[in-house]
Amino acid sequence: MDELELLKKDWQKKGEQLPKLTYDDIHRMTWKKSSSIVKWILIISILEIIIPNLLYLIPSFRQSMSIYENTVVDQYFMGMTVVYYLVVFYFIYLFYKRYKEISVLDSAKGLMRKIIRTRRTVKYYVIFSLSTILVFIAIVIIGIYLNDSFMDNFTELAGDSKEVSPEKLKTTLMVSMAILGVVLTAFFGGIYFLLYGLLLRKLKSNYKELKKLEV
Amino acid sequence: MNKELEHQFVTELENNQNIVHKVCTLYTNDRDSHNDLFQEITIQLWKAYPKFRGESKFSTWMYRVALNTAITLYRKSKRRVRTQDYESVIFKIKADEYDATEEEQLKLMYKAVKQLGDIDKALVFLYLEDKDYREISETLGISEVNARVKMNRVKKKLRTVLNP
Repeated sequence: MDELELLKKDWQKKGEQLPKLTYDDIHRMTWKKSSSIVKWILIISILEIIIPNLLYLIPSFRQSMSIYENTVVDQYFMGMTVVYYLVVFYFIYLFYKRYKEISVLDSAKGLMRKIIRTRRTVKYYVIFSLSTILVFIAIVIIGIYLNDSFMDNFTELAGDSKEVSPEKLKTTLMVSMAILGVVLTAFFGGIYFLLYGLLLRKLKSNYKELKKLEV
Repeated sequence: MNKELEHQFVTELENNQNIVHKVCTLYTNDRDSHNDLFQEITIQLWKAYPKFRGESKFSTWMYRVALNTAITLYRKSKRRVRTQDYESVIFKIKADEYDATEEEQLKLMYKAVKQLGDIDKALVFLYLEDKDYREISETLGISEVNARVKMNRVKKKLRTVLNP
């Protein structure tokens, strides 16, 4: 193609019109902090891994858990917590491993694939922790259903209003817990997928373009 | 950090900075973004430099890191000021060097190239830098045959822009 050859000739003469940085300019740049997408993915992923676990550090949350002490629900919680942390550590290990594999020296396609894979690990983690929240809330609801003494505490709190029957109160509480659970999960899920979409939109479309060629 | 290594790196980059400037020119639209991208590429090159063993030329190694940064790692800054001056400065063609039609054609070509997608731009860039299809395919991570196919498509696309 003649035009492209013409362009090539012109392109190779471009040298003198390009900016020229001095040794000191470049030296200064080597000390600057990167703001690459990989760095953002690392920061956001770490936040996403930590945040669900912060829930357990809130004192009022731990207190509310104490109502289940010595009940069947309590044993479930213990078991669940152990499994939960095993899975969390597995995800952290996997994330770390995949993050380390990202290399700017890879081919463009290889680099994109590794970034997407690293982020996918976090996606599975988020799905896992959102499901855990749902399961947790389900257990709380079951706890309320099975545990009558819990309702006693609650009616005390509500004062001695006689108009509402304990049964009705129990149902209302269970329904509101369920709604809260779903809204909470949808909210965190929404934030996550928004971030995920924003971070990877361009990368994914470029990756698709390269992948399409190989079919 | 090793001072000698740093000195070696900065000198190499200073001598080969045109490659990075050309990538920045293709992938950004204003001077601030150009500088931003240049800085990010420098950081990525420096981070990867200890792994550079001199198996290939420094410049060859730079192409990959620079393109990977521009296509994948770089987050475009919020500033979206399209300064027309910038493009005309970078792609200025001296009138006495070319006849008017050639100049016009080149202008159109550069404009068309700037409008291409990230991957197409990378192909054109490597082509303009006189890289063979083996190197193009390795840099992008596609097969040589597919690099050719893709390049032909890009050429066709550019031709349509020039001869609508």
